[in-house]
Amino acid sequence: MEEEQEFIQSGILELYVIGDVTADEKKLVEERAVKNPAVRDEISAIEYAMEKYASLNAVHRADELQVKIMENILPEDEKGTVADPAVAVNPAINTVAANHVVTAIPDQSAKIKKLYFALAACVALLIISTAALYSAHNDLGNAKEQIFALSQDKEKYAQNASYMTKQNEELQTMADMPSDPDWKTVKLAGTKMDPTAKMVVYWHTSGQHVMVDTKKMGLPANDELHQYQLWALVNGKPVDLGVFDAKADSAHILVKMKEIAGAQAFAVTLEKRGGSVNPTMEQMIAMGAVTI
Amino acid sequence: MARTKKISLSEEELVHALKRQDTIAIKALYDMYSAALFGVISRIIPNTEVAEDLLQETFIKIWNSGAYYDSSKGRLFTWMMNIARNLSIDKLRSKDFKNSNKNQDIENNVDFIDAQREVTFNADTLGLKEMVVALKPEYNDVLNMVYFRGYTHAEAAEELNLPLGTVKTRIRMAILELRKHFN
Repeated sequence: MEEEQEFIQSGILELYVIGDVTADEKKLVEERAVKNPAVRDEISAIEYAMEKYASLNAVHRADELQVKIMENILPEDEKGTVADPAVAVNPAINTVAANHVVTAIPDQSAKIKKLYFALAACVALLIISTAALYSAHNDLGNAKEQIFALSQDKEKYAQNASYMTKQNEELQTMADMPSDPDWKTVKLAGTKMDPTAKMVVYWHTSGQHVMVDTKKMGLPANDELHQYQLWALVNGKPVDLGVFDAKADSAHILVKMKEIAGAQAFAVTLEKRGGSVNPTMEQMIAMGAVTI
Repeated sequence: MARTKKISLSEEELVHALKRQDTIAIKALYDMYSAALFGVISRIIPNTEVAEDLLQETFIKIWNSGAYYDSSKGRLFTWMMNIARNLSIDKLRSKDFKNSNKNQDIENNVDFIDAQREVTFNADTLGLKEMVVALKPEYNDVLNMVYFRGYTHAEAAEELNLPLGTVKTRIRMAILELRKHFN
């Protein structure tokens, strides 16, 4: 043991590492190193220190020198890859497949890094796309709602327009009435069944048109089971002119009834829905004679 | 031919790749160790052009004799460093190199080496300042003579007029200081 310490402390191991020993000394140190772990450890420690010392004193050269040196070392087909050594796979040097495993280590780690970047980019794009899609979807939904609302509005206006057109026609009809002597206005007054009841019937004597003016109607609203029925009294006999409803929101000002050629009076009875063949006299609510 | 990245492999991977003559090995070795090797070469041979040629020779030798490297006998760097040092010292002592430096005393290696040193040694540019501070001058001088200037320890002993044992001890002490420093 003491002898080994002396050997270690002699400084020969340092010279061995530096390379300043004879062939015999080299052999001696290597034999001792195999036998004695302390010698081996000492050599390792010296080697490590000298390696660090060399790194500390490193002098870098331009990359061109590397290119030149690699061109002198590597086979023809390798030269192009000197600039990027990581992609080197050399078909000229025929080694086992394992070769490529080690070769691939830096290559793949670089690739994996790239792939990670690509993946991150994809995820980011996906998130952005999803957000954009979601927002677009929302916008589309809003747009659809607006379109629906607009088309409803439009329909409403169209209905309104046609309603107004009809009303206008009816109003025109009414406006024309005074100038047309054939139009007779017949005011029906309430009977004892309901003295407050009243209504107006327009009758065109030559055209035989009969119309009920809903705006001037003063009848109590009928229920679902009953309807008012208009009758014309022709030579004492009631003639059915059709049924109508008494309600506030009627779309028409004038309701067209059946035509009649001649009548002395008009009467309204409350009948079952759809009307009756003969008027129920006790349900007569209004009546008015035609004045010539 | 833009260089994009430096290769770095573990020593074990490097040795395997080198023995298989996988080109990745020599590229990685260059990336990892060329500067440290050139640091030593350029101190022994300060002429940059010659030193660069020696660096090339070093790598060619590393590439061609990788099969002979025995990891049980030491670190890969030690083996490479010894190749670089041996080539540099051989060049230093070769006839053609001496002839190219005409003002040198051909017969006296030590004087010649010293002359080289006088012209080129500069602690600042060589990056030694830090270590000069860390090491005692008498240790540092001996270590640098042997490690960086191509002297054998016997030549150093002669030059410094010291017993061989003292030179060896001083080299050991210097390296012990380095070991402390790097641990």
